[in-house]
Amino acid sequence: MIDVRRISNSRWWHNKKNWILFGIFLFLVFVRISKGSIYKDFYYFISKPFWPGEFQKEVILKSLNQESLINLSLLKKDNIRLREILSLQESSNNDNISATVISRKTGSWWRQIILNKGSKDGVEIGDSVIGPGGLLGRVNNTSLFTSSVTLLTSPESKVGVWVDRIQINGLLVGIGNDYPNLILYSKNAELKVGDFVSSSPASSLLPPNIPIGIVQSIDEPFKAKKMAKISLLAKPQAIDWVQILKVKI
Amino acid sequence: MTKFLIKNLSIIFFIFVPIFFLWHPNWLGFLGVQPYWPLFWLLPWSMINGSIKGLIFGLFLGLILDSLTIDSDFTQIPGLILCGFLFGRIKLHRDNLLGHFRFGLICSFGSFLCGTIYFLQILFNNFSDSTYLLFIPSLQNILAEVFLTGFFAPLICSQILRMFKFSRRKVY
Repeated sequence: MIDVRRISNSRWWHNKKNWILFGIFLFLVFVRISKGSIYKDFYYFISKPFWPGEFQKEVILKSLNQESLINLSLLKKDNIRLREILSLQESSNNDNISATVISRKTGSWWRQIILNKGSKDGVEIGDSVIGPGGLLGRVNNTSLFTSSVTLLTSPESKVGVWVDRIQINGLLVGIGNDYPNLILYSKNAELKVGDFVSSSPASSLLPPNIPIGIVQSIDEPFKAKKMAKISLLAKPQAIDWVQILKVKI
Repeated sequence: MTKFLIKNLSIIFFIFVPIFFLWHPNWLGFLGVQPYWPLFWLLPWSMINGSIKGLIFGLFLGLILDSLTIDSDFTQIPGLILCGFLFGRIKLHRDNLLGHFRFGLICSFGSFLCGTIYFLQILFNNFSDSTYLLFIPSLQNILAEVFLTGFFAPLICSQILRMFKFSRRKVY
Protein backbone atom coordinates (compact mmCIF):
# COMPACT_ATOMS: atom_id res chain seq x y z
CA MET A 1 0.00 0.00 0.00
CA ILE A 2 2.79 2.37 0.91
CA ASP A 3 4.47 1.88 -2.51
CA VAL A 4 1.19 2.66 -4.32
CA ARG A 5 0.84 5.97 -2.46
CA ARG A 6 4.43 6.93 -3.31
CA ILE A 7 3.80 6.38 -7.01
CA SER A 8 0.74 8.63 -6.97
CA ASN A 9 2.77 11.34 -5.17
CA SER A 10 5.38 11.48 -7.90
CA ARG A 11 3.00 12.74 -10.70
CA TRP A 12 4.42 15.76 -12.62
CA TRP A 13 1.72 18.18 -11.59
CA HIS A 14 2.58 17.54 -7.97
CA ASN A 15 6.01 19.05 -8.60
CA LYS A 16 6.27 22.80 -7.88
CA LYS A 17 9.23 23.31 -10.27
CA ASN A 18 7.15 22.08 -13.18
CA TRP A 19 4.49 24.72 -12.48
CA ILE A 20 7.15 27.42 -12.34
CA LEU A 21 8.54 26.27 -15.69
CA PHE A 22 5.01 26.25 -17.10
CA GLY A 23 4.50 29.80 -15.82
CA ILE A 24 7.72 30.94 -17.48
CA PHE A 25 6.64 29.25 -20.69
CA LEU A 26 3.28 31.08 -20.62
CA PHE A 27 5.04 34.38 -19.95
CA LEU A 28 7.38 33.84 -22.91
CA VAL A 29 4.40 32.99 -25.12
CA PHE A 30 2.80 36.26 -24.04
CA VAL A 31 6.04 38.13 -24.76
CA ARG A 32 6.16 36.55 -28.19
CA ILE A 33 2.57 37.43 -28.96
CA SER A 34 2.97 41.01 -27.72
CA LYS A 35 6.10 41.33 -29.85
CA GLY A 36 8.31 42.19 -26.91
CA SER A 37 6.36 45.24 -25.79
CA ILE A 38 6.91 44.46 -22.12
CA TYR A 39 10.66 44.26 -22.69
CA LYS A 40 10.65 47.50 -24.58
CA ASP A 41 8.66 49.29 -21.89
CA PHE A 42 10.91 47.87 -19.22
CA TYR A 43 13.96 49.02 -21.15
CA TYR A 44 12.35 52.47 -21.47
CA PHE A 45 12.25 52.91 -17.69
CA ILE A 46 15.68 51.37 -17.09
CA SER A 47 17.47 53.43 -19.72
CA LYS A 48 15.67 56.74 -19.04
CA PRO A 49 18.40 58.26 -16.84
CA PHE A 50 21.01 57.57 -19.51
CA TRP A 51 19.21 59.06 -22.48
CA PRO A 52 21.29 61.49 -24.50
CA GLY A 53 18.13 63.46 -25.45
CA GLU A 54 18.02 66.15 -22.79
CA PHE A 55 21.56 67.34 -23.28
CA GLN A 56 21.42 66.89 -27.03
CA LYS A 57 18.15 68.87 -27.13
CA GLU A 58 19.81 71.81 -25.41
CA VAL A 59 22.72 71.73 -27.84
CA ILE A 60 20.39 71.59 -30.84
CA LEU A 61 18.16 74.39 -29.46
CA LYS A 62 21.19 76.56 -28.84
CA SER A 63 22.35 76.01 -32.41
CA LEU A 64 18.86 76.78 -33.72
CA ASN A 65 18.74 79.97 -31.64
CA GLN A 66 22.10 81.07 -32.99
CA GLU A 67 20.95 80.32 -36.51
CA SER A 68 17.72 82.32 -35.95
CA LEU A 69 19.65 85.26 -34.49
CA ILE A 70 22.04 85.32 -37.44
CA ASN A 71 19.10 85.12 -39.86
CA LEU A 72 17.32 87.89 -37.95
CA SER A 73 20.38 90.10 -38.02
CA LEU A 74 20.80 89.56 -41.76
CA LEU A 75 17.13 90.26 -42.40
CA LYS A 76 17.26 93.42 -40.27
CA LYS A 77 20.24 94.70 -42.22
CA ASP A 78 18.46 93.88 -45.45
CA ASN A 79 15.27 95.58 -44.20
CA ILE A 80 17.13 98.76 -43.21
CA ARG A 81 18.84 98.86 -46.59
CA LEU A 82 15.54 98.44 -48.44
CA ARG A 83 13.77 101.02 -46.26
CA GLU A 84 16.58 103.48 -46.94
CA ILE A 85 16.10 102.90 -50.67
CA LEU A 86 12.33 103.48 -50.33
CA SER A 87 12.89 106.44 -47.95
CA LEU A 88 10.51 104.92 -45.35
CA GLN A 89 10.57 105.52 -41.64
CA GLU A 90 13.06 103.51 -39.63
CA SER A 91 13.70 102.71 -36.01
CA SER A 92 17.06 102.24 -34.45
CA ASN A 93 18.02 100.30 -31.34
CA ASN A 94 20.30 103.13 -30.27
CA ASP A 95 17.27 105.32 -29.49
CA ASN A 96 15.58 102.86 -27.13
CA ILE A 97 14.98 103.93 -23.56
CA SER A 98 14.31 101.28 -20.91
CA ALA A 99 11.72 102.23 -18.31
CA THR A 100 9.84 100.74 -15.37
CA VAL A 101 6.06 100.80 -14.99
CA ILE A 102 5.34 102.79 -11.82
CA SER A 103 1.57 102.96 -12.12
CA ARG A 104 -0.84 101.00 -14.21
CA LYS A 105 -4.51 101.34 -14.86
CA THR A 106 -5.36 98.44 -17.12
CA GLY A 107 -9.00 97.98 -16.20
CA SER A 108 -11.87 100.41 -15.76
CA TRP A 109 -12.18 103.53 -17.96
CA TRP A 110 -8.61 104.64 -17.85
CA ARG A 111 -6.25 102.34 -19.67
CA GLN A 112 -2.83 103.83 -19.17
CA ILE A 113 0.54 103.11 -17.65
CA ILE A 114 2.96 105.60 -16.13
CA LEU A 115 6.69 105.08 -16.68
CA ASN A 116 9.64 106.27 -14.62
CA LYS A 117 11.30 108.06 -17.53
CA GLY A 118 10.21 111.51 -18.61
CA SER A 119 11.25 114.47 -20.70
CA LYS A 120 14.50 114.66 -18.69
CA ASP A 121 15.48 111.31 -20.22
CA GLY A 122 14.48 112.35 -23.71
CA VAL A 123 11.02 110.80 -23.86
CA GLU A 124 8.72 112.68 -26.21
CA ILE A 125 5.00 112.66 -26.87
CA GLY A 126 4.21 110.17 -29.61
CA ASP A 127 7.04 107.74 -28.82
CA SER A 128 6.05 104.08 -29.05
CA VAL A 129 6.23 101.81 -26.03
CA ILE A 130 6.92 98.10 -26.40
CA GLY A 131 7.07 95.33 -23.84
CA PRO A 132 7.77 91.59 -23.96
CA GLY A 133 5.46 90.44 -26.76
CA GLY A 134 5.09 93.62 -28.75
CA LEU A 135 3.53 97.05 -28.87
CA LEU A 136 1.81 98.37 -25.73
CA GLY A 137 0.85 101.90 -26.71
CA ARG A 138 2.10 105.41 -27.32
CA VAL A 139 3.38 108.12 -25.02
CA ASN A 140 0.60 110.65 -24.59
CA ASN A 141 2.01 112.91 -21.96
CA THR A 142 5.36 113.56 -20.33
CA SER A 143 6.46 115.25 -17.15
CA LEU A 144 10.04 115.87 -16.10
CA PHE A 145 10.43 112.42 -14.52
CA THR A 146 7.47 110.41 -15.83
CA SER A 147 5.61 109.68 -19.00
CA SER A 148 2.01 108.48 -19.45
CA VAL A 149 1.26 105.89 -22.07
CA THR A 150 -2.13 105.39 -23.70
CA LEU A 151 -2.55 101.63 -24.04
CA LEU A 152 -3.84 100.06 -27.25
CA THR A 153 -6.91 98.97 -25.26
CA SER A 154 -7.93 102.54 -24.38
CA PRO A 155 -10.97 103.97 -26.22
CA GLU A 156 -8.71 106.89 -27.14
CA SER A 157 -6.21 104.70 -28.98
CA LYS A 158 -6.37 104.41 -32.76
CA VAL A 159 -3.35 103.07 -34.65
CA GLY A 160 -2.72 101.87 -38.16
CA VAL A 161 -1.84 98.17 -38.40
CA TRP A 162 -0.83 95.65 -41.02
CA VAL A 163 -2.19 92.13 -41.53
CA ASP A 164 0.74 90.38 -43.13
CA ARG A 165 -0.96 87.25 -44.53
CA ILE A 166 -3.47 89.16 -46.65
CA GLN A 167 -1.22 92.20 -47.08
CA ILE A 168 -3.79 94.78 -46.01
CA ASN A 169 -3.76 97.86 -43.77
CA GLY A 170 -6.34 98.31 -41.03
CA LEU A 171 -7.17 100.43 -38.01
CA LEU A 172 -6.80 99.13 -34.46
CA VAL A 173 -9.28 100.83 -32.12
CA GLY A 174 -9.45 100.33 -28.35
CA ILE A 175 -12.95 99.77 -26.99
CA GLY A 176 -12.25 99.76 -23.27
CA ASN A 177 -11.70 96.04 -22.75
CA ASP A 178 -8.63 93.80 -23.21
CA TYR A 179 -9.43 93.05 -26.85
CA PRO A 180 -9.14 96.04 -29.20
CA ASN A 181 -11.01 95.99 -32.49
CA LEU A 182 -9.39 95.68 -35.88
CA ILE A 183 -11.33 97.51 -38.57
CA LEU A 184 -10.61 96.64 -42.20
CA TYR A 185 -12.23 98.93 -44.73
CA SER A 186 -12.77 96.11 -47.15
CA LYS A 187 -15.78 93.84 -46.89
CA ASN A 188 -14.12 91.07 -48.87
CA ALA A 189 -10.85 90.87 -46.94
CA GLU A 190 -10.12 87.21 -46.25
CA LEU A 191 -9.24 87.64 -42.63
CA LYS A 192 -8.85 84.44 -40.59
CA VAL A 193 -8.69 83.64 -36.89
CA GLY A 194 -5.00 83.37 -35.96
CA ASP A 195 -3.79 86.00 -38.44
CA PHE A 196 -0.85 88.00 -37.18
CA VAL A 197 -1.19 91.78 -36.82
CA SER A 198 1.80 94.13 -36.68
CA SER A 199 2.38 97.86 -36.91
CA SER A 200 1.93 99.14 -40.41
CA PRO A 201 5.09 99.58 -42.51
CA ALA A 202 3.46 102.67 -43.99
CA SER A 203 2.60 104.25 -40.64
CA SER A 204 4.07 107.62 -39.81
CA LEU A 205 3.19 107.29 -36.10
CA LEU A 206 4.73 103.92 -35.25
CA PRO A 207 7.97 102.15 -36.12
CA PRO A 208 7.32 99.44 -38.72
CA ASN A 209 6.74 95.72 -38.13
CA ILE A 210 6.32 95.70 -34.37
CA PRO A 211 4.24 92.66 -33.36
CA ILE A 212 0.86 93.67 -31.94
CA GLY A 213 -1.50 90.73 -31.70
CA ILE A 214 -3.40 87.85 -33.19
CA VAL A 215 -6.93 87.79 -34.59
CA GLN A 216 -9.12 86.10 -32.00
CA SER A 217 -12.56 86.30 -33.56
CA ILE A 218 -14.14 87.89 -36.61
CA ASP A 219 -17.46 89.74 -36.67
CA GLU A 220 -19.91 89.71 -39.54
CA PRO A 221 -19.11 92.34 -42.22
CA PHE A 222 -21.07 95.55 -41.66
CA LYS A 223 -21.43 98.43 -44.12
CA ALA A 224 -18.31 97.64 -46.17
CA LYS A 225 -16.28 97.16 -43.02
CA LYS A 226 -14.87 94.00 -41.54
CA MET A 227 -14.16 93.93 -37.81
CA ALA A 228 -12.23 91.49 -35.65
CA LYS A 229 -11.20 91.16 -32.04
CA ILE A 230 -7.46 91.16 -31.46
CA SER A 231 -5.71 89.35 -28.65
CA LEU A 232 -2.67 91.47 -27.79
CA LEU A 233 0.70 89.76 -27.50
CA ALA A 234 2.04 92.16 -24.85
CA LYS A 235 0.02 92.02 -21.63
CA PRO A 236 0.14 95.41 -19.90
CA GLN A 237 -1.32 94.04 -16.67
CA ALA A 238 1.75 91.86 -16.15
CA ILE A 239 4.61 93.86 -17.62
CA ASP A 240 6.99 95.73 -15.32
CA TRP A 241 9.72 96.72 -17.77
CA VAL A 242 9.18 98.37 -21.12
CA GLN A 243 11.17 100.02 -23.87
CA ILE A 244 10.39 103.42 -25.32
CA LEU A 245 11.18 103.65 -29.02
CA LYS A 246 11.91 107.09 -30.31
CA VAL A 247 10.18 107.69 -33.60
CA LYS A 248 11.98 109.54 -36.35
CA ILE A 249 9.43 111.40 -38.37
CA MET B 1 3.27 119.92 14.26
CA THR B 2 0.90 117.24 15.56
CA LYS B 3 -1.76 119.89 16.12
CA PHE B 4 -1.30 121.12 12.59
CA LEU B 5 -1.58 117.58 11.22
CA ILE B 6 -4.73 116.84 13.23
CA LYS B 7 -6.27 120.15 12.23
CA ASN B 8 -5.61 119.52 8.54
CA LEU B 9 -6.30 115.80 8.56
CA SER B 10 -8.99 116.06 5.89
CA ILE B 11 -6.67 117.99 3.56
CA ILE B 12 -3.87 115.47 4.09
CA PHE B 13 -6.29 112.70 3.17
CA PHE B 14 -7.34 114.76 0.17
CA ILE B 15 -3.72 114.76 -1.05
CA PHE B 16 -3.61 110.98 -0.77
CA VAL B 17 -6.72 110.38 -2.91
CA PRO B 18 -4.87 110.78 -6.25
CA ILE B 19 -2.05 108.58 -4.93
CA PHE B 20 -4.57 105.79 -4.29
CA PHE B 21 -6.11 106.48 -7.67
CA LEU B 22 -2.71 105.95 -9.32
CA TRP B 23 -1.70 103.05 -7.09
CA HIS B 24 -4.26 100.69 -8.64
CA PRO B 25 -3.22 97.45 -6.92
CA ASN B 26 -4.32 94.42 -8.93
CA TRP B 27 -5.06 92.30 -5.88
CA LEU B 28 -7.72 94.78 -4.75
CA GLY B 29 -9.49 94.81 -8.07
CA PHE B 30 -12.34 92.86 -9.57
CA LEU B 31 -12.36 92.19 -13.34
CA GLY B 32 -9.42 94.59 -13.54
CA VAL B 33 -11.52 97.40 -12.07
CA GLN B 34 -10.75 99.30 -8.87
CA PRO B 35 -13.10 100.95 -6.37
CA TYR B 36 -13.73 104.60 -7.14
CA TRP B 37 -11.36 106.02 -4.53
CA PRO B 38 -12.37 109.74 -4.58
CA LEU B 39 -15.86 108.93 -3.28
CA PHE B 40 -14.44 107.47 -0.08
CA TRP B 41 -13.06 110.91 0.76
CA LEU B 42 -15.83 113.00 -0.76
CA LEU B 43 -18.70 111.35 1.13
CA PRO B 44 -17.46 112.02 4.70
CA TRP B 45 -16.21 115.49 3.71
CA SER B 46 -19.54 116.51 2.19
CA MET B 47 -21.55 115.00 5.05
CA ILE B 48 -19.63 117.11 7.55
CA ASN B 49 -19.19 120.31 5.53
CA GLY B 50 -22.39 120.48 3.49
CA SER B 51 -23.38 120.65 -0.15
CA ILE B 52 -21.51 123.78 -1.23
CA LYS B 53 -18.14 122.64 0.11
CA GLY B 54 -18.87 119.16 -1.25
CA LEU B 55 -19.49 120.65 -4.66
CA ILE B 56 -16.32 122.74 -4.57
CA PHE B 57 -14.11 119.87 -3.43
CA GLY B 58 -15.78 117.58 -5.96
CA LEU B 59 -14.58 120.04 -8.58
CA PHE B 60 -11.07 120.11 -7.08
CA LEU B 61 -10.89 116.31 -6.99
CA GLY B 62 -12.12 116.14 -10.55
CA LEU B 63 -9.47 118.61 -11.68
CA ILE B 64 -6.67 116.65 -10.03
CA LEU B 65 -7.87 113.26 -11.26
CA ASP B 66 -8.39 114.56 -14.78
CA SER B 67 -4.81 115.75 -14.77
CA LEU B 68 -3.66 112.23 -13.86
CA THR B 69 -5.60 110.46 -16.58
CA ILE B 70 -4.64 111.03 -20.17
CA ASP B 71 -8.11 110.87 -21.69
CA SER B 72 -8.20 114.54 -22.56
CA ASP B 73 -11.66 114.34 -24.14
CA PHE B 74 -13.46 113.01 -21.07
CA THR B 75 -13.72 114.42 -17.58
CA GLN B 76 -14.66 113.17 -14.13
CA ILE B 77 -15.63 116.63 -12.92
CA PRO B 78 -19.44 116.53 -13.57
CA GLY B 79 -19.86 113.24 -11.72
CA LEU B 80 -17.80 114.32 -8.73
CA ILE B 81 -19.50 117.74 -8.50
CA LEU B 82 -22.91 116.09 -8.54
CA CYS B 83 -21.83 113.54 -5.94
CA GLY B 84 -20.29 116.23 -3.73
CA PHE B 85 -23.53 118.22 -3.85
CA LEU B 86 -25.80 115.22 -3.21
CA PHE B 87 -23.62 113.79 -0.44
CA GLY B 88 -23.78 117.16 1.32
CA ARG B 89 -27.53 116.84 1.67
CA ILE B 90 -27.25 113.58 3.61
CA LYS B 91 -27.66 113.92 7.35
CA LEU B 92 -25.37 112.09 9.75
CA HIS B 93 -27.10 109.06 11.17
CA ARG B 94 -27.05 108.17 14.85
CA ASP B 95 -27.37 104.45 14.37
CA ASN B 96 -23.80 103.35 13.68
CA LEU B 97 -24.57 99.96 12.17
CA LEU B 98 -27.17 101.40 9.83
CA GLY B 99 -24.74 104.20 9.04
CA HIS B 100 -22.04 101.77 7.93
CA PHE B 101 -24.34 100.04 5.45
CA ARG B 102 -25.75 103.35 4.31
CA PHE B 103 -22.21 104.43 3.32
CA GLY B 104 -22.03 101.37 1.07
CA LEU B 105 -25.30 102.17 -0.66
CA ILE B 106 -24.55 105.87 -1.07
CA CYS B 107 -21.07 105.23 -2.48
CA SER B 108 -22.45 102.59 -4.85
CA PHE B 109 -24.99 105.11 -6.10
CA GLY B 110 -22.27 107.78 -6.45
CA SER B 111 -20.01 105.39 -8.34
CA PHE B 112 -22.88 104.45 -10.65
CA LEU B 113 -23.57 108.15 -11.28
CA CYS B 114 -19.92 108.98 -12.04
CA GLY B 115 -19.46 105.86 -14.17
CA THR B 116 -22.59 106.54 -16.20
CA ILE B 117 -21.67 110.17 -16.83
CA TYR B 118 -18.19 109.14 -17.93
CA PHE B 119 -19.59 106.44 -20.19
CA LEU B 120 -22.02 108.91 -21.79
CA GLN B 121 -19.10 111.19 -22.61
CA ILE B 122 -17.21 108.31 -24.27
CA LEU B 123 -20.38 107.34 -26.14
CA PHE B 124 -21.02 110.83 -27.52
CA ASN B 125 -17.38 111.35 -28.37
CA ASN B 126 -17.02 108.07 -30.30
CA PHE B 127 -20.45 108.03 -31.87
CA SER B 128 -20.19 105.87 -34.99
CA ASP B 129 -21.41 102.58 -36.45
CA SER B 130 -19.29 100.60 -34.03
CA THR B 131 -20.53 102.41 -30.92
CA TYR B 132 -22.41 99.31 -29.80
CA LEU B 133 -19.05 97.60 -29.18
CA LEU B 134 -18.46 99.91 -26.24
CA PHE B 135 -21.64 98.88 -24.40
CA ILE B 136 -20.67 95.54 -22.87
CA PRO B 137 -17.18 96.47 -21.58
CA SER B 138 -18.54 99.75 -20.25
CA LEU B 139 -21.45 98.09 -18.47
CA GLN B 140 -19.00 95.62 -16.98
CA ASN B 141 -16.78 98.50 -15.82
CA ILE B 142 -19.68 100.35 -14.21
CA LEU B 143 -21.06 97.28 -12.42
CA ALA B 144 -17.66 96.12 -11.15
CA GLU B 145 -16.87 99.62 -9.91
CA VAL B 146 -20.27 99.97 -8.22
CA PHE B 147 -19.83 96.62 -6.49
CA LEU B 148 -16.29 97.32 -5.27
CA THR B 149 -17.02 100.87 -4.14
CA GLY B 150 -20.09 99.73 -2.23
CA PHE B 151 -18.14 96.82 -0.74
CA PHE B 152 -15.29 98.91 0.67
CA ALA B 153 -17.25 102.04 1.56
CA PRO B 154 -18.69 100.89 4.94
CA LEU B 155 -15.19 100.11 6.16
CA ILE B 156 -13.28 103.08 4.75
CA CYS B 157 -15.88 105.88 4.91
CA SER B 158 -16.88 105.22 8.52
CA GLN B 159 -13.22 105.38 9.60
CA ILE B 160 -12.55 108.54 7.62
CA LEU B 161 -15.72 110.16 8.94
CA ARG B 162 -14.67 109.31 12.51
CA MET B 163 -11.23 110.85 11.91
CA PHE B 164 -12.68 114.00 10.31
CA LYS B 165 -15.03 114.44 13.29
CA PHE B 166 -12.12 113.94 15.65
CA SER B 167 -10.07 116.50 13.75
CA ARG B 168 -12.90 119.10 13.98
CA ARG B 169 -13.49 118.41 17.67
CA LYS B 170 -9.85 119.20 18.43
CA VAL B 171 -10.01 122.46 16.53
CA TYR B 172 -13.16 123.96 17.97
